Amino acid sequence: MALFSAPKTHPLHSKARSLRLDILEMINHAGFGHIGSAFSSVDILISLYNSKLFNFKKDRFVLSAGHLCASLYAVLADTGYFDKEELFTFAQFNSRLQGHATIDTPGINYSAGSLGQGLSYSIGLALGDPKHHVVCLSSDGEHNEGQVWEAIMAANKFHLGNLISIVDYNGCQIGGTTQEIMPLDELAGKYLRFGWTVTTVDGHNFYELARVLKKSKDSSIYPACIIVKTVLGKGVSFMENNCQYHDIKKLAPDLFITAKNELQRY
Amino acid sequence: MSSKDTKLASMRRAFGEALFALALKNPNLYVVDADLYPSLYLTDFKARFRSRFIQVGVAENNAAAIAAGLSATGKTVFLTSFACFSPAINWATIRQSICYNHHPVKIVGSHAGLMSADLGASHQMLEDVALMRTLPNMEVFAPIDASELKMMLPVIAYSQTPAYLRLVRPDTPLVNSARSFTIGKSRFLKRGDKITVLGYGPILTQLLLPDFDKFSLDIINCSSIKPLDDKTILTSIKKTGRCLVIEDHQQNGGLGEAVAKLILTSGQKCKFIHLGVNNAFGQSAHNYFDLYHHYALSPLAIRESLKKLLSTHAHS
Ligand SMILES: Cc1ncc(C[n+]2csc(CCOP(=O)(O)OP(=O)(O)O)c2C)c(N)n1
Repeated sequence: MALFSAPKTHPLHSKARSLRLDILEMINHAGFGHIGSAFSSVDILISLYNSKLFNFKKDRFVLSAGHLCASLYAVLADTGYFDKEELFTFAQFNSRLQGHATIDTPGINYSAGSLGQGLSYSIGLALGDPKHHVVCLSSDGEHNEGQVWEAIMAANKFHLGNLISIVDYNGCQIGGTTQEIMPLDELAGKYLRFGWTVTTVDGHNFYELARVLKKSKDSSIYPACIIVKTVLGKGVSFMENNCQYHDIKKLAPDLFITAKNELQRY
Repeated sequence: MSSKDTKLASMRRAFGEALFALALKNPNLYVVDADLYPSLYLTDFKARFRSRFIQVGVAENNAAAIAAGLSATGKTVFLTSFACFSPAINWATIRQSICYNHHPVKIVGSHAGLMSADLGASHQMLEDVALMRTLPNMEVFAPIDASELKMMLPVIAYSQTPAYLRLVRPDTPLVNSARSFTIGKSRFLKRGDKITVLGYGPILTQLLLPDFDKFSLDIINCSSIKPLDDKTILTSIKKTGRCLVIEDHQQNGGLGEAVAKLILTSGQKCKFIHLGVNNAFGQSAHNYFDLYHHYALSPLAIRESLKKLLSTHAHS
């Protein structure tokens, strides 16, 4: 598995480029946004929403890490939930696109912002509607929260074969790396010990993502976890793996141009 | 806000600097942080006092009980995060491990209120004062600006009760002219004899607009929300017979309720208006002025309320 290779041959690759540009414009226009994790997570969301595996009119997607909503907004606009122009209202007064994801936005099933609750919420959904899948996206730092581990235990108890927990493992939090803030060590091994099937995957490789999503959906007895190894700020060299780019205000004009140029060549 | 060239300053930066200064003098001072120290300007603290900076990650319940345990060993402990996480998520842990166990941990909740404009409702904590006021022995403080925060911090640090300190995100007007801070004492920002105005935090500085001078306001900064300065408040209300309470918080459970109870219990008669968020969540905006306007907390809403208070007979 060649990590972070982002093969350009995949048909979704051009989306990975154009939606990153949307995210950059949208966050810079708002002067606010969690750009690092938006870029680390966007390929996961593109895979999910462009795969035939799920029907999100019936299956449910839960964004637990509400701060990375910019990538979800870009993907939802691309999928047709609302117009792309609406992205430019992000975090403005009266906008449907709030600074953290809310259930009142078309296509969004859960109001978030406080980390650690979305996997529990997903368990409720999975228990209540066993015929459909629930896919939950959380962040690595979010696994600092005790409640996440309560949920991981509960999913096993209830044999939730219809639950998929995707973890955006970008290795960064607010005050430094995940290793510095609270080491997660072998997260895959931990999920495994708690009774889940676990797969680790390169989060910027659409071939790999598609394969692993299929495999996880087919796991019908155990809850499935996908640890997605990603790069914070993926696509913009000065943001990549730089925890300072957890969130930004407006970028300095020269940095904005550099970022845009790099993404156009992504 | 009294004039165009009022200086702005960051309460959070003042907090980081004041805590650093305290830690230089007090080798027993610890910070327990839940992955938000850069937002509380504690980067220097972390670098300088490595062994007294306890990073527990995004885990506010864990953080609160760890802070309590540290405090039990005689340390002076500051628990730092955003108000919407601490005390919001870890309230029951604060109740038991900190309050019920008698540990004077200082809980610092930043980014409170609608002032955290673009972050949206999840982060715009509007219930923290309500949550903390109800806890036995918990003291509750909300400075009006960076200058008052600096005077407050050493006093709070050495008090022997648990305390909650409410901070806001943006740079806000510097208006404080007091030289000291005493727990349970309020401050006059302006003297007048027609309407008593009570509040805490930067939202109160809106009342200092020269526009409002004609209303002859007795403006009292209630930065010590609990214990509250009952005596000063009642003395003012006795004089004016009219009271406006304003807060960047839910009306439910806020200062307004505490004051209403105080007035009723005292037997004084008084016209009363409470401006606060009325049973609603916040929302994103580019700046908080739009939100203050929307939730009827802006100078416009204030003027309406003052007029209304004046249009009726006091003490009637
Ligand atoms: C309960 C809670 N505590 C604190 C925060 C503030 N916060 C927002 S993002 C974040 C970093 C967590 O790490 P991670 O989600 O892995 O960061 P990212 O992937 O964006 O780099 C923190 C502490 C929060 N949103 N929720």
